[in-house]
Amino acid sequence: MTGFLSFFRFFFLPRALLSHYRRHPLQLVALGVMIVLATMLWTGVNQLTSQARASLAQSEQAVAERRQVLRDDGGALAVDDFVTLRLAGVCVMPWLEVTPSPGHHLAGQRLVGIDPLAAHCFGNSVDGAGALDQPLDGKPFVDIHTAAGISARESRLHLLVPASTNPSVLPPGYSLAGFSASPDTGELGDSFLLNLEALGVLVLLIAALLLRSVYLLGLAQRRESFALLHRFGVPPGRVQRWLALEILALALLGVVPGVWLGRWLATGLGGGFGQALEGLFDIPLYAGQGQGWLTPVLVMLAVVMVSCLGDLLFLRFRQRLALPLAVQAVVAAALLVTGLAMAWLAPSLLWVFIAVALVFAGAGWLTPLAVARLSHWRARLAKKPLVLWRYRELAVLVRRLTLPLVALQFALAMVLAVQALVTTFESTFDRWLAQRLEAAYYIEVPAGADGRKAADWLTSAQERSPDLQWHRVIRGSALLADASGEGGRQVDVFALAPISSLIREWSLLEAAERHWETLAAGDGVMINEQLARRHNLGAGDRLQLSIGGEPLDSVIVGVYPDYGRPVGEVLLNAGLLPASFNTRFESVSVTPGRPGIDRITEALRQIWDVGALTTRDNATIRELATGVFDQTFALTRAMTLLTLVLAASALLMMGWVLFSTRTWYFRLLVAWGMSQREVAAQLLRLALLLTGGIAALALPLGLWLTWALVHRINPLAFGWSLPMAVYPGFWLELAVLSLAIGLSIALLMRRQLSRPAALPASASALSGGER
Amino acid sequence: MSEPLLVVRGLSKQFVSANETVPVIEKLSFTLGQGRSLALTGRSGSGKSTLLNLLCGLEVADAGSIALRDQVFEAGAAAAKHRAAAWARLRKQHIGVVFQEANLMPALTLLENVQFRAYLAGRDPAHSEDWLTRLNIGELARRYPDQVSGGQRQRAALAMVFAMEPALILADEPTGSLDRHTSDEVTGLMFELQARHGCSLILATHDAELAAGCQQHLDLGHLSGV
Ligand SMILES: Nc1ncnc2c1ncn2[C@@H]1O[C@H](COP(=O)(O)OP(=O)(O)O)[C@@H](O)[C@H]1O
Ligand SMILES: [Mg+2]
Repeated sequence: MTGFLSFFRFFFLPRALLSHYRRHPLQLVALGVMIVLATMLWTGVNQLTSQARASLAQSEQAVAERRQVLRDDGGALAVDDFVTLRLAGVCVMPWLEVTPSPGHHLAGQRLVGIDPLAAHCFGNSVDGAGALDQPLDGKPFVDIHTAAGISARESRLHLLVPASTNPSVLPPGYSLAGFSASPDTGELGDSFLLNLEALGVLVLLIAALLLRSVYLLGLAQRRESFALLHRFGVPPGRVQRWLALEILALALLGVVPGVWLGRWLATGLGGGFGQALEGLFDIPLYAGQGQGWLTPVLVMLAVVMVSCLGDLLFLRFRQRLALPLAVQAVVAAALLVTGLAMAWLAPSLLWVFIAVALVFAGAGWLTPLAVARLSHWRARLAKKPLVLWRYRELAVLVRRLTLPLVALQFALAMVLAVQALVTTFESTFDRWLAQRLEAAYYIEVPAGADGRKAADWLTSAQERSPDLQWHRVIRGSALLADASGEGGRQVDVFALAPISSLIREWSLLEAAERHWETLAAGDGVMINEQLARRHNLGAGDRLQLSIGGEPLDSVIVGVYPDYGRPVGEVLLNAGLLPASFNTRFESVSVTPGRPGIDRITEALRQIWDVGALTTRDNATIRELATGVFDQTFALTRAMTLLTLVLAASALLMMGWVLFSTRTWYFRLLVAWGMSQREVAAQLLRLALLLTGGIAALALPLGLWLTWALVHRINPLAFGWSLPMAVYPGFWLELAVLSLAIGLSIALLMRRQLSRPAALPASASALSGGER
Repeated sequence: MSEPLLVVRGLSKQFVSANETVPVIEKLSFTLGQGRSLALTGRSGSGKSTLLNLLCGLEVADAGSIALRDQVFEAGAAAAKHRAAAWARLRKQHIGVVFQEANLMPALTLLENVQFRAYLAGRDPAHSEDWLTRLNIGELARRYPDQVSGGQRQRAALAMVFAMEPALILADEPTGSLDRHTSDEVTGLMFELQARHGCSLILATHDAELAAGCQQHLDLGHLSGV
């Protein structure tokens, strides 16, 4: 007997448990597929984000501002200069930028050749050269000898020196200047990544909900066999242990290919992503490895285990949680309200994230309760028994479909937010580009040359051809004379003269009357959003600055959005700059009109008496940047749509299965004399109410999430906000999708109506689950 | 002999499963008078449920004819849609079907179930509570099906059927899942009300004792395919 018992225990139990899947292989497949897809989705998003983050960090180092040596005569540097400097004992590192000629296999990519042996000049990444110590096998960094061997359309040599280099060690004819490998493009990418990361967490949550719903569905159908085992004297703990083992095995089988798929997806899409970042921010994605295998595998294993067996693990906790519905609703509402208030008032990023978590928890908990409540209330108003029946049935379905419905709600909300975010980023990015690349060309004023001479020439040139637009840009910094006595704070100075029509199209966040005129007259200044936020300044306030040691007290006539830069900036008329102002950078922005850029550069070259000018063609930059950034946006959209598709198909599957468990009752309507068509129409209304309702409830959540991302998380993280835009056209698309799911469920059910239905499994032991 | 309510002639039905056809009903003929009761007996699988389904149009016969009230349904005749609609009308107002279990909508109370059925039949739902009282479950009217016993559920199912004032009741082992005592109580009430309201009854059962309560007998046992 004992022999039989042990045989029974160790062999029969798992077989009895697994026999369920032998009878319902589709359930096993569904669960497995769900694990794989959820893992893939999350790994993909996570991989992309961490990959991008890693490369951002590295490129930040790589493009960190350093110092370079320039020839006083403005001429291009050559090998001779390198030799001269080396002989003078200056530790210089050559930095050779090449653009391969069109025929070359690397055409179109800018490469940077550096000499790793010279990198020691920069010590132990004291100076941000850490990235340069890495093996030089990736683009765009290559060994200088490789770069020199490439047939180049354009090549330019820079000689970098450590920041600590004293100008006095330089041989005569050379001077020091700042060097940065890219225009100052800042934090727009960081912000995008942060948002992507927040969405990654949401994706994980949605994946967990979907997994749990599929798992519980299978479990519900196995309840009878569990009861049978229990009657045979198998203790429930033993069954649970085997279930845990079963799901662990399934998770192991599903998670590893899921992670592989996710990585594959991320690499496939990541190419585009990397290119986008690189094109936009001059950020090389040469070492973006992302995470290893272990983390995503472990995370997903944990997610699968907790989402499927969480209530077994926290059984006692859950029993305590089995609160009456009214109490549940109050707790959920309290969570929601706390989250909303917290998001509004949160002083730091962490609190906002907690607030978002609270809001989602509250909303996810409250939604099914509220919908069920609402349908009961609607049922009570019903005059016709048929309407009463429909709303009662809706309440049952909502309760039994809670998890996939909440997952769909979250997914819809997320897609709404991402869509709004991406579209906002796109338009922001366009505006940012328009603002930063306000003219068709930038011409750098070479070191030692006089910008004023160029201005004089351009003024007269403009008289001859009025469609020429231009202004001089002088950049440097100033100190903020803080009234609070906290001491000066450095701000960037962005000085323009004249205040040309090139910038008059900027859209301002805040503006006084006749702001451009006041700015042009030198009677006022404008500040960027960061400065305004940080010091709580606005149009009409006064700003006290110390520029080049001279005080400047001026009224603020406007606040302009300045995406992606951490620094406060003051925009003023260059006429206000004192002679003592230390110019960090000077350029001329030109939209040439009829004279053509060649005539202008030629004239300036002669005026300044230099060999060549550094000219940037903004149209190409813009084209490249928008082109590749579009790819990133498309990628993000694809990811979120994938989430949506996953959630939608889960709801479709679960909805169909659950509707099917009630086929007997729908057939009962036929037995009571309703035609199949009438019953099908009722089912259609039911399914549409269900999915349409959830879409309607996802809308406020999605809008709120957009608001939180754009107006709370971004300003707290970066000091600037994105405009909040809404896109009702897209809402409509999502609504149509939800209704399409409902329609599909109804169509699938319609087919079942014509066949005789089996008695519901639990008919003999009617449980509360039926209503 | 009373007016015939139901005349069945040469009724046949077979199911095609996998690779074989299973004849379940073969050339069956019988007549049922108005207000009369008929016991349909036979072992499990002998086709009792199938016959009841044929008699209310939930299944379609392969051959034969069914004449019910003023309508005649010929097997194989064209216009299946028209026929389905005619059956649906009959089920709505004149044929009450009681299954062995799960006759009630689980999300509606007993009373709401009866009202729903009466409403569909076009009867006044106001009398619904009376019907529950007549079946001795008036005090349970506002409970949900899962809050009452199996016997009480079957009583409610009978209340629903009587509330539609049918011409014919088709009861498919209505007490099959109840204990002897409860079963006797429920069937007793059923026979009593059936007699009082003058409707006809076909009771499928494998219980000889119950069958004895009916005026006519039809045994399908010999037709068993299994
Ligand atoms: N939809 C169907 N498809 C195939 N075979 C069926 C179907 N319904 C019933 N049968 C078969 O018809 C026979 C009679 O079934 P049924 O009428 O339910 O018998 P009873 O109600 O007397 O137990 C059985 O052998 C059953 O397997
Ligand atoms: Mg039967």
